[in-house]
Amino acid sequence: MTMTDATSIEQERALDAASKVVKAEAFEMKRSLDKGKRMDALKHASAMLAELKSSLLTPKYYYRLYVDVIQELNHLESFLKDELEKELKQETIAELYEQVQYAQSIIPRMYLMITMGVIYMKLFPKMKSELLNDLVEMTRGVQHPLRGLFLRHYLLGVSKSLLPDLPEDAQLAIPGSGTVRDSIDFIKLNFSEMNKLWVRMQHQGPSREKEKRERERMELRILVGTNLVRLAELQTLTQDVYVTEVLPSILEQVVSCRDPISQEYLMDCVIQVFADEFHLATLNEFLASCKELAQEVHIKNVLIALIERISTYVSHPDTPGISEDIRLFEIFSSQAEGLIQSRSDMPPEDIVSLHVTLVSLAVRCYRDKLEYANTVFASLANNLQDKNVDNVEQYSAVGKELLRVLRIPVDEYKDALRVALLTDYARAMAPLNYRGRCTAASYILQDMIQMDTPLKTEEDVDAICLLIDCLLTDQPDQPADTPETEEFTDEQDLVASMVHLVQVDDKDAQFLLLNGLRKRFGAGGKWRIRQTLPPIIFSLYQLILAYPAPEGDDSARDAKLKKMFMCVMGTIGALVNSGELSQLPYNLYLEGAIVANRVSFEEKAVVVYELLSKALSVLEDEIADSRERLSALAVVTNTLIKIDCLPNDNWEPLASQVILAGAKMFKKPDQVRALCSSSYLYWKGRVDGSAEPMRDGGRVCDVLKKAVKIASQCMEPLVQQQLLIHLLNHYMHLYEDGCDKITPEILNELISRTRDASVQIEPSQEADNIEKHLQHTLQYIREAREKHADLAEHLQI
Amino acid sequence: MGKEAVARFEDPGAEENDVIWKNLKKTNDLVSTWLLHKTVRIFSDIMLVLLIGDLHIPHRTYAIPPKFRKLLVPNKMQHVISTGNLCTRELYEYLRSLASDVHVVRGDFDTDTKLPETKVVTVGKFRIGVCHGHQIVPWNDEKILDLLARQLDVDVLVTGHSHVCSARERGHRLYIDPGSATGAFSMINDGPVYPSFVLLDVQPEQIVCYLYRLIEEQVKVDRIIFKKSKELA
Repeated sequence: MTMTDATSIEQERALDAASKVVKAEAFEMKRSLDKGKRMDALKHASAMLAELKSSLLTPKYYYRLYVDVIQELNHLESFLKDELEKELKQETIAELYEQVQYAQSIIPRMYLMITMGVIYMKLFPKMKSELLNDLVEMTRGVQHPLRGLFLRHYLLGVSKSLLPDLPEDAQLAIPGSGTVRDSIDFIKLNFSEMNKLWVRMQHQGPSREKEKRERERMELRILVGTNLVRLAELQTLTQDVYVTEVLPSILEQVVSCRDPISQEYLMDCVIQVFADEFHLATLNEFLASCKELAQEVHIKNVLIALIERISTYVSHPDTPGISEDIRLFEIFSSQAEGLIQSRSDMPPEDIVSLHVTLVSLAVRCYRDKLEYANTVFASLANNLQDKNVDNVEQYSAVGKELLRVLRIPVDEYKDALRVALLTDYARAMAPLNYRGRCTAASYILQDMIQMDTPLKTEEDVDAICLLIDCLLTDQPDQPADTPETEEFTDEQDLVASMVHLVQVDDKDAQFLLLNGLRKRFGAGGKWRIRQTLPPIIFSLYQLILAYPAPEGDDSARDAKLKKMFMCVMGTIGALVNSGELSQLPYNLYLEGAIVANRVSFEEKAVVVYELLSKALSVLEDEIADSRERLSALAVVTNTLIKIDCLPNDNWEPLASQVILAGAKMFKKPDQVRALCSSSYLYWKGRVDGSAEPMRDGGRVCDVLKKAVKIASQCMEPLVQQQLLIHLLNHYMHLYEDGCDKITPEILNELISRTRDASVQIEPSQEADNIEKHLQHTLQYIREAREKHADLAEHLQI
Repeated sequence: MGKEAVARFEDPGAEENDVIWKNLKKTNDLVSTWLLHKTVRIFSDIMLVLLIGDLHIPHRTYAIPPKFRKLLVPNKMQHVISTGNLCTRELYEYLRSLASDVHVVRGDFDTDTKLPETKVVTVGKFRIGVCHGHQIVPWNDEKILDLLARQLDVDVLVTGHSHVCSARERGHRLYIDPGSATGAFSMINDGPVYPSFVLLDVQPEQIVCYLYRLIEEQVKVDRIIFKKSKELA
């Protein structure tokens, strides 16, 4: 059994015993009240209250007992008050107030005195001034910390509704009923007495239980703090009185008690409970006291709380403009700097936390004064440099705070370009390690994407690139496996997205910016360029397509467009050579050919041919995988179908190259499929000068015939059947599209071959699917037959 | 439905979306209460399928429009079918967050070589085939799409690549192109590209097809109904 368990069992027992007595006495008290035996009732109340004399209970258990007792005491109060209210004789209540003071022991005596005093004041408000003073003075009699704290807490609680809250100079309707002055004096005294008791707790008992005592004291702090809450609640407490009297007396109490727990808590309490205007009026006094606090106090917490409170107030839209005389930023930043200098043992995360608050103050309250925020970042960088803080991991205490401070201007300005104006911002990023810096830089990019921050000038681009430098090139401290991580990929996608933020109306300026980015990204190495260069190419395509049409002979325009295509080719070339990619650059070349085909400029055909031939060499040299090759051949066929600017002697070699590449596929089924799709070149293709597709049925049929021949050579019956059905569909399609070289005989031949084959195929799931495909095809042909006289006559189906 | 029931995009106003979601949800709730008392087969009574593709992030653009992001939230649909060209891992994760059942085919700019060229997904009584479309020669040729639909033996064929959102019924089959959800520009499409996606409400005997397009910052929704063909069944 652990110590704690042992203690808590003992405590439960002691509490249980005391509670039994309380219950029994309370029962007797109520019975006596009901019978009208007032003195008996008070005797039982006194016996009940005597349980609060206990020194066995720890604060937690004492509190539970206290709550029970107070509940009973409240019953006594309201019962007696109702009774006395009927006769309303001052002598009776004055007598009762006297009588309870004869109780033998001090705890019951004081509690009962307060209870009677409260009834007295409620029935005769003229007594308030005198009695409040009387009670708070008499309570001094209890000097035991725990018992005294709770007794005074009771006093503060029951007097809450009685505290006078009229201006000091008010004409009182009832003389003696008191003004705010009485309340201030009452609470001030109660507060200082309670704080003394609370501090004294620390020095009772053996020193080995120091930690336990500190814990217990923390549990009780709210009892002391309630005094300050009550003071702040006084409506007629003027700023003047606060400045000249209330705050000085609180601060004096706080400083002189020399107890770190009390000091840190009470300073925070003052910050939280009093009005913003009061704080603004007393900044210097408050900060001066901070310097006199014990070494153990975490002043940075106090300072942070104060700055946050003030900046929230000042930056609130309803706040009237604050006087220029209060130089908040200067005051706080010099305080913070002074604090850091005077406490050489301050941990780096605390230094950063202080700067978090200062940056927040600067950007929230002084939006126009960038130099303020910049000063803080500079000071942060210098302080961390002095302490040799570097290579900070992002999830460490310092790392978390650093990322927090870096996020503030991004979140508040919502304009990365404005963040970029903070010249010392990047220096404050530097202490983070590689991953940490990347996280900070990504945060900026994410914000830009979210806010659609446009990049309009070279300066804009330079400024942002400086902030995100760690994402753009290999870093000395970058771990070797970085390119394989998900973070790297996601971050490079963000960098790539940035390209789309380059938005200038002037086309030439846009080109210069894109070209500038291309050069920067180009230095990123194999892994980065794979992700970052493609958007530049697409942006160039978009720019080219939006380029205004020529006016007459426009050689300058021709030159510019040619230059852009050179840039495109160079960039795609980098993806092939440095990026070691194939499929992506291949597709980019082909898209480029379509783009070039759509704009008119002098060397259009040359550029289109160049792009297509580059694509085909990538296909030949780099795309080996059969699936990739098959899809690549389909795309190049489609591209060639779209191109209509090439002279015949350019077009022909490209087309035959595509057909040849199809015929050269490694596996026969792939050859058939490739030939089948590329046969459309001779059907849909167009050369320069012709308004219509070539529809060269002869050559289409030559290619298809070759495909049928290869299909027949496939040894696998299922595959062969699949290919024949595929071919039949394409023959039929071309026939319907008007290809007169396809005769019903050719169709009949294919139909009968597929039918023959279908009966010979072994049954299987795959065979069923193929058979279904065949039946769908035949059904389709049957329906089509009705539309074509030639077929209706000759087709055997 | 007419033979060429090309989706016409009326402007029912922004509230329309909410109404659609709400109605769908109402039906959903009904189904789930029913489910407690009746047979489990009822579950297949409502199936929402999101068709989305050709996002091209970060190649051609950088984000799904916020107005779409608001509509595309988790727990609304049961299946996601994508025509591909997501281009980033992050987007795939995003689709995974919308529904547990996600099917993606490979677009010409997808680097993930594991993605299939075509796929058939059965939802309720309907077979839905999907293919990006860059492999189809010639691009977007109706007859060749018919041919592919016959080959895959599907009721609905979903293809992309054109960046034009459309839904057409032809020969007892429904042909859908969800367009580009980001409105990414296209080399093969001269006109303006409107961001778009399609939502299918797959019911026992019919599919209600909602086409969402973002035109001048307004989400426009059009609806067409496709009934299961007796012949094909």
